[in-house]
Amino acid sequence: MTRHEIVRAVRPVVLLFVFAVLITVTLTPLAGQAASLKEIKSRGHMSIATEDNYAPFEIIKDGKASGFTNDVVAELKKYADFEIRQDILPWSGLLASVRAGKYDTAITGSIISEERLRVFDFTMPTASAQHYYITRKGDDRIKGVKDLNGLTVGVQAGSVLLSRLPELAAMLEKTGGKLGKVVEYTSYPEIYEDLSNGRLDYAVNAIVTAQNLISKRGDTFALGKAVSGPGFHAYPVPKGNEDLLEYLNGFITHLYKTGKLAELQKKWLGRAFPALPRQSIKSVGEFKMLTKAQ
Amino acid sequence: MTAGGFQMLLDGAWTTIWISLIAIVSGVPLGFVLSLIRVSRFPVLSQIVVLYVSLGRATPLITLALFLFVTLPVFGVNIDKYTAGVLALTLNTASFNTEVWRSAYLAFPQSQIEAARAMGMTRALYFRRIMLPQMWYAALPSLVNEMTLLIKASPAIAVIGVVDLTRVTNRIAAQTYEPLPPILIAGVMYILFIGVLVRLQRHLEKRAERYAT
Amino acid sequence: MTDWEIVLQEWPRLASGFGNTLLLFGISAVGAFLLGALMVGPLRSRSKIVRIALRSYVDGMRMLPFLIFVYLLYYGLPTFGVKLDAWTAGLLGLTIYHCAYVAEILRGAWDQLPVGQTESAQAHGYHGLRLVRRIVLPQLVLNTAPVLGNQLIYILKDTSFLMIITVQDLTYAASSIQSMYFVPLEPFLIAIALYWAISLLIEGFVAIVQGIAKERGLART
Repeated sequence: MTRHEIVRAVRPVVLLFVFAVLITVTLTPLAGQAASLKEIKSRGHMSIATEDNYAPFEIIKDGKASGFTNDVVAELKKYADFEIRQDILPWSGLLASVRAGKYDTAITGSIISEERLRVFDFTMPTASAQHYYITRKGDDRIKGVKDLNGLTVGVQAGSVLLSRLPELAAMLEKTGGKLGKVVEYTSYPEIYEDLSNGRLDYAVNAIVTAQNLISKRGDTFALGKAVSGPGFHAYPVPKGNEDLLEYLNGFITHLYKTGKLAELQKKWLGRAFPALPRQSIKSVGEFKMLTKAQ
Repeated sequence: MTAGGFQMLLDGAWTTIWISLIAIVSGVPLGFVLSLIRVSRFPVLSQIVVLYVSLGRATPLITLALFLFVTLPVFGVNIDKYTAGVLALTLNTASFNTEVWRSAYLAFPQSQIEAARAMGMTRALYFRRIMLPQMWYAALPSLVNEMTLLIKASPAIAVIGVVDLTRVTNRIAAQTYEPLPPILIAGVMYILFIGVLVRLQRHLEKRAERYAT
Repeated sequence: MTDWEIVLQEWPRLASGFGNTLLLFGISAVGAFLLGALMVGPLRSRSKIVRIALRSYVDGMRMLPFLIFVYLLYYGLPTFGVKLDAWTAGLLGLTIYHCAYVAEILRGAWDQLPVGQTESAQAHGYHGLRLVRRIVLPQLVLNTAPVLGNQLIYILKDTSFLMIITVQDLTYAASSIQSMYFVPLEPFLIAIALYWAISLLIEGFVAIVQGIAKERGLART
């Protein structure tokens, strides 16, 4: 190849590289910062993100939103002196958008995880998120956790259910077994579909969502036992925003005091959760202490 | 499938249609402008266009949609999922359209240009009066082909949550736990939309052949 | 840790996703091409039934979005008791879908060949598969190299849809790094650069084939 041809071939690659470096170096400082409580109050609105498909927290039936989170947001609208602007998005990109400052917080069924504690502080929890396994009804192979040895499991990609599977692996190792194949999906409807048609042997989900599934499809699925230590549903706030965190804690405390939280928990989640931690969770250490398997 | 399910399918179909329409209507002129820059050999800009076209045609739509939706907020650009979807489709289709327009330009008979010049027409004048109307005819079949490709690729925006016709089948299956009926109906609907465009494309190809120089 | 360091630490994930994408692309590209080449003859068959059946199949694939087709294969078939695993469904989907396009491209080019050539070949005893393989196909491929190259790039891009049926391709790898560590930009930049690199290679390959075509005097435009 002549020198001219080489230059022509390489030039676009060099341009692209320079472009990419320029983007990451110059523009990243422009990243939106989540608004502090003061800014929220002065601009008059808080923007929140909610997932669109996570029963019983977020349900969309025939195009209308409902569920536990929907009622909580209604209460927040009553409690707050400012406007609450809500965006309903899918799970992929939801937390990244909050971190990037596009939203002040996420009022959604998000679960606390160690990876998330790296960038978020969490409000006091609003529900238990202990992980349970779900099987096909009538599958006699699986009577307890130790029977999950070597079987295929489905979980949502990028979720806490996936990142806390090592706890299940540890439980299995204690009984001389090991974790089987893990298949990652973009969302749960596909996981349940594959569980019912036999591609998966079991699925793992948080207790509330699992119970919700059984209540609707108890003919096809059955709830198993716990496969992790305690877990919590809580609202994430980007780190460094203590005021907003305390404001939201104040809101949840208000819900406890008025009995509204227990009422909503019973209505949507099947039971009240009176024994949840009553403080924000801000570090991996705190989290590990609160979630040690019993 | 319930009546509510049918309603959701219709809503999803409408979402697919309006998003595709906006992307098509924006992408064709955008491709035209970019192709002009490209053929004019403008110093830095035309190189950027070459880069953009090369990248745009190689990047999968899912990757582009996720990239725009998740990354733009980092630069302070707050866009919602519909805007991100339209933007991804537009940027993608414009890169293909640029090449379509460019081919039409390059294939234009030199003899007509020379004749126009011999008559003393300026470049701007013969471009506007002579080249453009004919280029338009020649480019049309490929542009319509690109429109069908856009609609066929549009399910990609479901990953960022746009409730298009494909994502609706997901939602219905999540309620009824029977995935097959909504998928089949959605498939038929897509075939109908695209079938109409393909008919149009064949008609235009026949017409372009007749008027070809 | 800066964002780039996190992504570099996760390079095995990206490498595995990239490898899967390449594997899916390679196998289905070869499969689609072979099947498409096999289909071209019957597509122009004198038997009306065969012709109409294949015609409907080709037109159907050209009017159906790829994702819906894959959904049908993966989530729809279990209703009939056929349960394909993700990779099989993905490869089958890519191959069956794109071979229709390849067949159509080759057919269009065959129609452009001088009729006399095909007839004289048949008069000399070349029929069916031999006719296609020895006489017609080489010309078709050399004539349509750029368009076939475009189709290869479409196959490459369609591999990204397979993340929705749990195949862990390159886009899936970038997306999962993004959602686990909240680094939105870098994984996608790398993924886009890799897709771009492959498509540049495909275009280079097409340029080589076109060089061969020019030598043999078969190049058009």
